[in-house]
Amino acid sequence: MVNSVRPSRADYYRVLADRLPTNALVVTALGNASYLWAAMHHTPQNFYVEDAMGLALPLALGLAIGQPARPVVVVEGDGAVLMHLGALVTVGAVGPRNLTVLLIQNGVHAASGGQALTNAALDLAQLARSAGIAHAENVTTPEAFASAMGSATTGDGPQVLVLATNPDVEVVRPPIALDPVLTKHRFMSAIGAPRYIPILFGGGGLERE
Amino acid sequence: MANPAAPSAEPHRPSAILATLKRLGFGVAVAVPDGWLGEILVRIEREPTMRLVRATHEEEALAIACGTRLGGLRTAMFVQNAGVLSMGAGMVSLAQRYQFPLLMMVSYRGTVEDPVFYHAPKGRVTEPVFKGFGLAYARTDRNRPIGPQIEEAATFAEEASCPFALLLSREDVQW
Repeated sequence: MVNSVRPSRADYYRVLADRLPTNALVVTALGNASYLWAAMHHTPQNFYVEDAMGLALPLALGLAIGQPARPVVVVEGDGAVLMHLGALVTVGAVGPRNLTVLLIQNGVHAASGGQALTNAALDLAQLARSAGIAHAENVTTPEAFASAMGSATTGDGPQVLVLATNPDVEVVRPPIALDPVLTKHRFMSAIGAPRYIPILFGGGGLERE
Repeated sequence: MANPAAPSAEPHRPSAILATLKRLGFGVAVAVPDGWLGEILVRIEREPTMRLVRATHEEEALAIACGTRLGGLRTAMFVQNAGVLSMGAGMVSLAQRYQFPLLMMVSYRGTVEDPVFYHAPKGRVTEPVFKGFGLAYARTDRNRPIGPQIEEAATFAEEASCPFALLLSREDVQW
């Protein structure tokens, strides 16, 4: 349940910025999940998802598969995860050891103005465990989050941390333009992802520069 | 069931699909199965150079595919056409907006060749909906080998930086 004593998203983000391994990749969902993170900790290793509600988690799963040597952290909302609960099942089935899922549980659809969720009181950690993700816990303080993050990025995942948070419906102004194609190219360049090299009149392939 | 005594005029098309994907360096396939796709997915699962991810829903599969491509893996999807109908929001707001090149291998159910009557409504609207999405696509030509058609589709996806759907008949993809 939502109450006024919950920490803010920024409280948790300060911990995340402090505890994040230098080689970690971060995927953030729409709205303040992306805007605030860009304001507090913008790096080329961030992939900001705008719109596409509920798809940050499965995208991060794919990224964790594609980049198995790097920790991947995804920030998803409770409303968003409810839209694609099946993604939790797929994460449980695939079992990527490098994936940490941070579920912001603020009890509302914050990105669209704070509308009520279908069910704001779900035990999302229990739901994640039922989906086959053994390491899943509810977190209610930044201190507990700091402790959990210490073990979350050691490659023993997947791990789900449900962060009890006050709703932040006031839209944060991001300090950078979140142009989607620029975001993608900046990210792929930062991680050294191979790029497509065309061959005139004959297709091509992915090659590292 | 193929008659082993009868000489085949053309290579087995599902085998050619798999061989082409391997040759082109596809490292991962993300899928939601249907009756035509079931066996080729099992074959992909056995391939040492490919990884199969079984998603619970086609829009989820699309996002996973965007993620694997973001991570540097050439990625194919295997879904039924009904699955593309149900992934519209993700198609336009994620795959197309971020310009992810994805090869979508789509079983084309509900054509006149499909014996399962309830697929007909999906078949009827598939191509108009693809056009509405702005999704680039082609139907396979049964008079041409399937391998070059896959390569053309994959090349288009990369060079246009967008998903490309190849609509597959039963003989193309059912093992």
